[in-house]
Amino acid sequence: MSDLKETLKEQIIEQLNLEDLTPADIQNEAPLFGEGLGLDSIDALEFIVLLEQNYNIKISDPSEGKEIFQSVDSLAAYIEKHQ
Amino acid sequence: MNIHITGYGLITSIGLNTEENVASLRSLRTGIAKGRLDNTKAYNVGEIHLTNAELKEQFKLQTDGSRTALLGMAAAKQAFEGHVLSDQIRTGLISGTSVGGMDVSEIEYKNYLNESNHNPDNYKHHSSGTSSEQIAQELGISDFVNTISTACSSAANAIMMGARMIKSGTLDRVVVGGTDSLTSFTISGFKSLMIFDDQWCRPFDDTRKGLNLGEGAGFIVLESDKSLEKTGKKPLARLTGWSNASDAFHQTASSPDGHGARLSMNEALRISELQPGDIDYINAHGTATPNNDLSESQAFQGIFGTAIPPFSSTKAYTGHTLAASGGIEAVFAILAIRNGYLYPNLNFKTPIAETGLTPQLDFEEGKNIQHVLSNSFGFGGNNSTIIISAV
Amino acid sequence: MYYIHSIASISHQDSFNVSNVCSKLEKLGQESEVIAPNYKEYVPPASLRRLSPVLRMGLTASIECQNNTEKEFDAISVGTALGCLRDTEKFLVTFHTATSDFLSPTAFIQSTHNTIGGQISLGLKNHAYNMTHTQNNVSFEVALMDALMCIDEGKKQVLVGSADEQIPFLELMQPNLIPDNYPLTSGASFFVISPEASSASVCVQAVAVRFNPTDKTGEIEQFLANQQLTLNDIELALYADQLPVETNEKTETLNFLEYSGLHYSASAFAMHIAHDSLKHSDKRYALIINDMCSDKLGITLLSKQ
Repeated sequence: MSDLKETLKEQIIEQLNLEDLTPADIQNEAPLFGEGLGLDSIDALEFIVLLEQNYNIKISDPSEGKEIFQSVDSLAAYIEKHQ
Repeated sequence: MNIHITGYGLITSIGLNTEENVASLRSLRTGIAKGRLDNTKAYNVGEIHLTNAELKEQFKLQTDGSRTALLGMAAAKQAFEGHVLSDQIRTGLISGTSVGGMDVSEIEYKNYLNESNHNPDNYKHHSSGTSSEQIAQELGISDFVNTISTACSSAANAIMMGARMIKSGTLDRVVVGGTDSLTSFTISGFKSLMIFDDQWCRPFDDTRKGLNLGEGAGFIVLESDKSLEKTGKKPLARLTGWSNASDAFHQTASSPDGHGARLSMNEALRISELQPGDIDYINAHGTATPNNDLSESQAFQGIFGTAIPPFSSTKAYTGHTLAASGGIEAVFAILAIRNGYLYPNLNFKTPIAETGLTPQLDFEEGKNIQHVLSNSFGFGGNNSTIIISAV
Repeated sequence: MYYIHSIASISHQDSFNVSNVCSKLEKLGQESEVIAPNYKEYVPPASLRRLSPVLRMGLTASIECQNNTEKEFDAISVGTALGCLRDTEKFLVTFHTATSDFLSPTAFIQSTHNTIGGQISLGLKNHAYNMTHTQNNVSFEVALMDALMCIDEGKKQVLVGSADEQIPFLELMQPNLIPDNYPLTSGASFFVISPEASSASVCVQAVAVRFNPTDKTGEIEQFLANQQLTLNDIELALYADQLPVETNEKTETLNFLEYSGLHYSASAFAMHIAHDSLKHSDKRYALIINDMCSDKLGITLLSKQ
């Protein structure tokens, strides 16, 4: 699980072009959107692409993403459950 | 100074000319269906079922160009029919487009990726500016050509630019509107945004899921008082208000309260010297995306309070024709004024929970329509409003 | 009058934040690159991460213009000939090579021509009029016409400029899309125009575009005659490749493509050169003749008051 989280952080940085960040800058439980990393609705779509490309998880309704993309913790939990 | 409207023309998935469009509007017949081409067949789209060669033949087009340019020529030619070029009347063409010649370029680029039959000569149609020059050439217009590219508000902005150039005295007469063809680029683009509805789109409905794309073109002819004296044309309507404002909220999403939309509608009303209560019909932007329709509804409530005039989105008929939509909907506005039409908002059942607004549901005619307000909003928070009034 | 109050250019020259760009100009070789400021000093990282070079250039030049101006812009007019080419090509590759239904949307979103203008409004939190004009080699001139019209309508502080970017694929599109006798470049030049003089001395006196001109010399002479001027009054003439008029020996002439390189809105950089030249000399009139495409002529007259 912790390996998955580290991998996820690298994938997030890559997919969202967060070039100034390192995985260490992203806390597992910290909110990714809003006051957290400052991500927005376009990033939510990029998360959907990331999940499909790397984990073969298909989210067809973007509104489902809200809960899933709250934090690295919630993302990892979702992937574990659906893979 | 008055900005007179002396011509209009359009081509959409519900008709190749005015009569066909009116017949479809009247009989509640949408143009949106499963596409018939390789790149459209997986989608519900407002497709025009004429090949480029058929377009050229049907509208007797002499000028070569991308599909975007050909559709523009078909509509602009209808608008300009009966108008005569003259050294005494400085005449321009201002067209809005978002894809330009992408319909040609994307095929050529695929050839490039596949390393087969790549013919760079075809990129000569790529530039959006070139598509307008081709339309102008078809009409014989060369005093001024300009292209506005502000995504889905392009045609509305082209109309506004034309009005301002007449007002400033730079032009006497100008053909204004917009054109966009369906391309794999935009189909894939809106798919990537996950805002397609795989059913028919449902503008202003609580269950709306997204838009259906369409293609088409719509143009109108604007003339100054001075031009009218020379051409002797009978004005069909007047362009009385226009405005563009920035939402400055997000690259793709509209602000929840429709701030930019309010700024735009307020300024257009100010320019037309009208009060909100003077507006008899609103042709909404109404793309049927969850975000747009809520934001636009909130903006209506902000401007009109509880006395919102009949409003509808005609995109459930034509699909969202992107840069062309403001031109097509300007023609619908002129027809509404000339014939007292109110257009239904197809596929509506349930009001949006937050606002509770119900759009116009039936096709009506013979109404007294003096002033129509038409909205067009684009990416980048680019919000535009025009107001068309009876003569 | 349309006074030029602030200019910011990002180009292949050392042109950003310099007091007189003329003192720095060097003829470009085949392999020049954009001399970029540190964008991080202008644009927050959350925004910058998505911005392609043309967006970075356009936004940063606009922010610099706003930083040098007290009032908020009450209109923004942008010219771009080919728009956001890098994101356009990126998205073409994305969907042509896609193996699933899930496509990354960012390049598509950033590919529309008015992403430059939209990012400026977002970056500056500016709610004003925001227009994007695209007309091949006269894209900047039509944007400038719009800006002057805004001033005539009562606007006090108008941002006008242009941005275009070079991508390697563009070379394959030559000569069908653009001519091929100069190195392809990127560039963004933005100007603040105001009806009030305050500390400014150089004005845009007039701008015009002509389509399919049969007699370029006649068009240019007529344009000047409308300003009660003749070619003899012009002390600096900037042109694209070939000067289509005969000037007298007192007129300094400069082929701006040798300095801007080739992109279709390069005449905006020529206006930057012309402005600085007038400001730092006793010359009074500068004319920019832009016929990069033979069928479209842009003419811009700057004057010192």
